[in-house]
Amino acid sequence: MSSAASTAKIPSPLRLLLQVNLLQMWRKFRTANDQSSLLVGTLIVFLTGYTVLASALFYRALHFAGRFPGLGEMLIERMIYLLFSFLFLLLLFSNVVIGYTNLFRNKETAFLITLPISAQDIFRWKFLESTLLASWAFLLLIAPLLGAYGLEQGAPWHFYLLAPVLIALFIVLPAVFGCWIAITIARHLDRRLFQLLAVFVVLLAFLGLRAYWKPEVLDDENMESRVISVLDRLLTKTRFSQFPFLPSYWLSSGVLHWVEGALSAAIFFVLVLLSNVAFFGLLGFTGTGRFFYSAISATHSRSHVLAQWKWFRNWTSRRRQFHYRAGPMEWFLGLVPRLEPDTRAVLLKDMRVFWRDTAQWGQTLVLFALIAVYVSNLRHFTQQLANPFWVHLCSYMNLAACSLNLATLTTRFVFPQFSLEGKRLWIVGLAPLGLVRVVRVKLMLAVVASLIVTLPLIWFSCHMLKLPLEQKIYFAGAVIVMTFTLNSLAIGLGALYPNLKEDQPSKIVTGFGGTFCLVLSFLYIVGSVLLLAFSSPWGGMDFVSPNFKVLGWVGFAGLSVALGWLPYRWGLRRVATFEH
Amino acid sequence: MIELKNLVKHFGDLVAVNDLSLTIGRGEFFAVLGPNAAGKTTTIKILTGLIKPTSGSASVCGFDVQEQPLEVRRRLSYVPDFPFLYDKLTPWEFLRFTGQLFRMDEEAIQRSTRELIPRFNLESYLRQPIESLSHGTRQRIAIVSALMHDPEVFVLDEPMVGLDPHHTRVVKDVLKERSLRGMTIFLSTHQLSIAEEMADRIGIIHHGRLIAVGTGEQLRQQSGTDGALEKSFLSLTAQEANFVEEKAALKDRAPEITIA
Repeated sequence: MSSAASTAKIPSPLRLLLQVNLLQMWRKFRTANDQSSLLVGTLIVFLTGYTVLASALFYRALHFAGRFPGLGEMLIERMIYLLFSFLFLLLLFSNVVIGYTNLFRNKETAFLITLPISAQDIFRWKFLESTLLASWAFLLLIAPLLGAYGLEQGAPWHFYLLAPVLIALFIVLPAVFGCWIAITIARHLDRRLFQLLAVFVVLLAFLGLRAYWKPEVLDDENMESRVISVLDRLLTKTRFSQFPFLPSYWLSSGVLHWVEGALSAAIFFVLVLLSNVAFFGLLGFTGTGRFFYSAISATHSRSHVLAQWKWFRNWTSRRRQFHYRAGPMEWFLGLVPRLEPDTRAVLLKDMRVFWRDTAQWGQTLVLFALIAVYVSNLRHFTQQLANPFWVHLCSYMNLAACSLNLATLTTRFVFPQFSLEGKRLWIVGLAPLGLVRVVRVKLMLAVVASLIVTLPLIWFSCHMLKLPLEQKIYFAGAVIVMTFTLNSLAIGLGALYPNLKEDQPSKIVTGFGGTFCLVLSFLYIVGSVLLLAFSSPWGGMDFVSPNFKVLGWVGFAGLSVALGWLPYRWGLRRVATFEH
Repeated sequence: MIELKNLVKHFGDLVAVNDLSLTIGRGEFFAVLGPNAAGKTTTIKILTGLIKPTSGSASVCGFDVQEQPLEVRRRLSYVPDFPFLYDKLTPWEFLRFTGQLFRMDEEAIQRSTRELIPRFNLESYLRQPIESLSHGTRQRIAIVSALMHDPEVFVLDEPMVGLDPHHTRVVKDVLKERSLRGMTIFLSTHQLSIAEEMADRIGIIHHGRLIAVGTGEQLRQQSGTDGALEKSFLSLTAQEANFVEEKAALKDRAPEITIA
């Protein structure tokens, strides 16, 4: 057959896959530009603004730390080691999540498996794709830092050429390890066991971090007279970041030595990084295909992992005799008074869908666990600072951090909610409750779920800062308003800019509406926190006249209405006349 | 061309394919019928190499699907009920891409598409993005892309879903022609009329077992019915269901007995 098998000029399968996917990406960009130049404009302005602002902030921070008498250089050095070691961990986590989704829950992979492409080639392509998807945020974060560091230290011109090469090498290692972990998980764990493991690992990490960084309580006298000793202990606690087998250590050392002009030492670390990348990259690129094939076959053949035991099989066979019993979620919703049955059904469906998609709540869990670690250590902060200005500054920073986290979640999870109904509109849209109520129910669920996290978090952080009750109530009120606004904004824009063809939430978010939502959320948080901070009745803001303070609160309320209530109303109006 | 030997596939405690053996010869048009969750798609997934069998083996054109997957995939094409296509490509770009994956040079791609594209009435869609096309048109593109390299074995899972009567006819005609030219076709469908009209032999899978195989006439004899194939299908699957229930009841009463 295939008389056409003259293969001399035909590109390799990997090259074909790269060509096709690059073409797809280019078309997506062009379509986005054709449909809305505003999207591209918004993106460019946001990225430029972010880069300039982040570079300036990093530059000032490095300059400030560098002025610390006698220890400035050492502090900066340690901060760089610490930063890269944490970024390595985050990159690894990001690669596991994205690698798993991209390798095992992707329609393209299942399609490619049936074509004459080796499992190794499919893995190669998916590995490249996952690495880029998992690492772009890292590049965005690290570029301004390295730029600012080079400027602050007066680095030679060739540093700016080397830095991108080093970063490109660095992202390969977490990508390879992340894909290997993803393959192991896919091969051996089903969804439920993975969920249990994820919760267990996060809890363990939380407890481990708390135990390791158990803060030492220092009084003011200690702070003033024993600075060197305190710093010495701080440096000891963070010495793990200089563990010589960490890839982040090789990268940091390469960067630091290059900036210092110690080129031979820098080249040594670059070569260490390069040789590891070459070794693990080669293993990944040549020897992972068959493991990947076994894992993908396992994911398509999966029953419950416990089914190998008889007791589980007997239990499931008893369950197969259908006796419907309400699960915990249904039982919980049953306790809510005056909830209409159709509203309860929509709520229950949304909660179940969210819970059963581990990739969704796994990221949420990690984000808020990090904040919880930070907040739980705040109590030591107040013992070290007597000046109420710093305590209040910290409380407003907490409000900003909590809201920023919430904004990433509302954009990532709440914004796509309406679009996700796209393929189910035949049932939800045609049901007697109507789309308007569906959207209202979604807002209700999103707000309640968000408040369950944000309200205790803010209250707890205020408690840790030993703020009096009236201030706790003030911040609780602020976070309630901000939670409502951010969720309304996400739901409203989600209804105004739906993508009904896509069923992957992460892809829905990358459109104009999602980007716009993120940008507006960010601007809202910055504006709100600044207005609230300047209108603060406490914390040494006496220089602001009472009239301006009132104006600040009115401004906060106005901003909340403009960015929360209005998009939500427009979204509802659009949904009421929606043609599907 | 296709040989399935004692194929077994377990999903935990569920036996999706149960000791299935089948040989399909060159140029044979084989249709497989069965109720939902009977094991048809699982069999196809094993045949196309998407999943590994728990035991037994599958081979295509003499090549074992697990041992020599690339040799198999070079000779086999597969079209599922909802095929994956790259949304931002045009049909022409997609066809070139799949042709090149099958190592076809430019001339072979041109020659092949020149025959198939007009046949499936795709000329006017060739420069439109696939995302803007209807399900039926996408299905036709998938079928053309699968036929382009003239595979020795063609596996189709519910290919007529979303096709209008005219294009259903086109697909049937093309498949019949190809089958007469030596292509082995393995078609999974719920449409009994298509199976009866097109297939040389029909297999019925139920509870993962191949409970009957033969021509329409042979199936009628085997089931003891006459008239429409629907009657035979319902009768055979009902007999199998009774058998499974009786076997389960017997197993409950006397667990020590082994029943084949």
